[in-house]
Amino acid sequence: MNEVFSFGSYYPGDSALHRLDPRTKLLGGIVFLLIALLARSFVALGAIAVFIAALYGAARIPSGRALRSLAPLLAIVLVVAALNLLTNHSGRVLAALGPFQISEGSLRSCAFMAARMLLMMCGMSLVTMTTMTLDLTCAVERLLAPFARIGLPAHELGMMLGIALRFMPQFATELMCTYRAQISRGAHVTAGPLGSVRMLSSISIPLFASIFRHAETLSAAMEARCYHGEAGRTRLHPLRYRACDGVAAAILAALGACVVAIGVIAG
Amino acid sequence: MICCDNVCYSYDGRTRALDGVSLSIEDGEFVCILGGNGSGKSTLAKHLNALLVPDEGRVTVMGLDTADPEYVYDIRSAVGIVFQNPDDQLVATLVEDDVAFGPENLGIEPAQISERVRDALREVGLMSFERHETHALSGGQKQRVAIAGVLAMHPKVLVLDEASAMLDPRGRAGLMRVCRELHAQGMTIVMVTHFMEEAALADRVVVLDRGRIALEGAPADVLARAEVLERLDLEVPPSCRLGLALRSRGVDVTPHVDEEAMIAEIAGMLDGVSCGSGDASDAASASDADAVSQDRAEACLSFEHVSYSYEASVRERAAKRRRPRAKKQAVWGNDPDAVWALHNVDVTIRRGEFVGLAGHTGSGKSTLIQHMNGLVHPTMGRVVAYGENLADRRASARIKTKVGLVFQYPEHQLFATTVYDDVAFGPRNLGFSADEVDVRVRRSLEQVGLSFDELAGKSPFELSGGQQRRCAFAGVLAMEPEVLVLDEPAAGLDPAARHEFLQLIAGLHEQGLTVVMSSHSMDDLAAYCDRVIVLNEGSVFMSGTPRDVFTQADRLRGVGLGVPAAQRMACALAARGVPLATSRLYDVDGLADDIALLIKGAAR
Repeated sequence: MNEVFSFGSYYPGDSALHRLDPRTKLLGGIVFLLIALLARSFVALGAIAVFIAALYGAARIPSGRALRSLAPLLAIVLVVAALNLLTNHSGRVLAALGPFQISEGSLRSCAFMAARMLLMMCGMSLVTMTTMTLDLTCAVERLLAPFARIGLPAHELGMMLGIALRFMPQFATELMCTYRAQISRGAHVTAGPLGSVRMLSSISIPLFASIFRHAETLSAAMEARCYHGEAGRTRLHPLRYRACDGVAAAILAALGACVVAIGVIAG
Repeated sequence: MICCDNVCYSYDGRTRALDGVSLSIEDGEFVCILGGNGSGKSTLAKHLNALLVPDEGRVTVMGLDTADPEYVYDIRSAVGIVFQNPDDQLVATLVEDDVAFGPENLGIEPAQISERVRDALREVGLMSFERHETHALSGGQKQRVAIAGVLAMHPKVLVLDEASAMLDPRGRAGLMRVCRELHAQGMTIVMVTHFMEEAALADRVVVLDRGRIALEGAPADVLARAEVLERLDLEVPPSCRLGLALRSRGVDVTPHVDEEAMIAEIAGMLDGVSCGSGDASDAASASDADAVSQDRAEACLSFEHVSYSYEASVRERAAKRRRPRAKKQAVWGNDPDAVWALHNVDVTIRRGEFVGLAGHTGSGKSTLIQHMNGLVHPTMGRVVAYGENLADRRASARIKTKVGLVFQYPEHQLFATTVYDDVAFGPRNLGFSADEVDVRVRRSLEQVGLSFDELAGKSPFELSGGQQRRCAFAGVLAMEPEVLVLDEPAAGLDPAARHEFLQLIAGLHEQGLTVVMSSHSMDDLAAYCDRVIVLNEGSVFMSGTPRDVFTQADRLRGVGLGVPAAQRMACALAARGVPLATSRLYDVDGLADDIALLIKGAAR
């Protein structure tokens, strides 16, 4: 399972990046994406690449692990790059095959887009690699909190997200067990349309039954421990901005300024 | 502390789950609520902390009425409850967040919460587990986290609603130890269970039957009443059973609930007759000779040097081996860093055998079982069934019809709209005609003791728990397997249902089915199996007739496993100098016979 969903899965550590407030990291990640979109030249991308490499170094994530976590999303990069290669024309035509052609400009934009997307993915994956999913849900909840006034159930969303994450590995195990049990009773996926439907329902219905069963007890267990929504609730680890969050924001601002400056000078 | 006055409750408005229960629980008491499945004991437990409110009558906790919404959170923080299924009640991904959930809801200051979390985890013996992920813990550990989550709210009463029912013996022992320690510190404990050994430790026992209190009193009084308990789907603890068996043989002993007291009394009566008399041991050794003649029967399943690892590649296994291991893992269960789930297993199952699999959770029983019909393929070695290597895809498909696998809690795999369709799933997958399917469904429902006419058209989800298990079992029998492989078939059933279900399996074995059954209950394995295989950390630790295996109590204890109750008592008596044959496997009646003989011999 972990092989499939390895994109940005948490890499345990205790670096400065790991200790940053998850809200800072989440917002920082979004700002980083915007900065990357602002970059207009390879020089600017180079600056961003140096920045990202420095952060990976600071987070003490080995390069092999960092690259491996990108692998599942490389397909998207390839598709985008290919589209750019075939459409974004300018300058001399280098090669042509029927309706498809490749020009100097399209080659450049293909390389540029691919590099930019890779950097953006590196940035986002760094956020999730240094932040536990639970802290991320907490950050989402807190960042959405201002919208609670216009009726957005921020706390409930956060709670739901947290519980969903908690039950994910369990449902995966149960699904596997049911699948094996039904296979033992002669079910197979390649049994024609009727067989496949029967196979699917024989696996999905027990899963739903189990979800409802779990939900019923879980809600009783939560009630028994005095859960009554957000009102009056405290937190074991309350999120607090500290000095290092300010430093992180400053560094990010410097990067943004740098990229804009490169754009101005080059333009 | 808690006072229930004539409590009535009904889920559907027609049948009463509780029908006039009056009960008062004192401060610092250890009360055990017993009852068969469906006796209303869980319903009563939920009344104790205002999760349910009585239809009639009232429940007061520390003088506060549970029906008054104003006191609900006072009551729930004073009376903590732990439920049956360890997977259902943990809220958070990390242990510390889960334990903190209660205090967070109470609005405690963060600094205090972390202190409470630390203290609570220490009390349940899970120190420094704060940053562990909850789903990676064992069942017993999860239940202790759940208890810690309750303790962190600083309750006065701890209610355990069958909290040990889904645990293995080791997890159960850990849970009981925590309960005893908490009780010693003054915590009031209410324990709902159908395990008699647990009830024996209580100050007071309350037995429920169909929503009413049937018996109440000290364990020594209540648990010795064999006929009444049996009628209530319960059983007498083994030490009591021995006492009662001795009485029926004309020996004047008091049946004790506490095993040590029982042994002390018998040993005391036999103080004079040490050594020499030997007649009991002579009679013994002959009785088991008949069990061995199986060797020449044809092998239907054989494992040849089978090893299995969840890490498929050689490189990853090597990486895992190199990783430094955490020392404390060894104390609390199986090492998650262990490379092999099965290691060099050689096992042969012969036609007509009844083979038992024993071992801790994580010792490789389930993995071994899933190899038996080709669901899982060995990383090394091979599994041969009926002369065919299961690594071959076609062979493994054929073998699935010959080797029927019943998973743990098979009722969780029910899915169809009617019982009929669910049982017919297997035969239809095999492509049988509608007539043949019909014949098979009828036959298999009859085999498991369910009425075709009454139940075939019903939804399987409407059945009772015990019926659901039988229905799921019928679904496997409808494949008409020659070998039946069962993973913990009796888990979670009350004593009566457990006994019936095992009898059912024994009946099928007599009709010629080969049976492989894994179980945590050494008593069940000793009573039903021809041969017992003990797994430990993925390897075959012992294998042989129940007598061969269970007479080596010390070796089993070395890996943390027990022996059947009667054998345990025989060993304890032998250790006190009572001349019993240690090479013989005793059941309760056999032990009573020998002791009665010795006592009469001493009287002469």
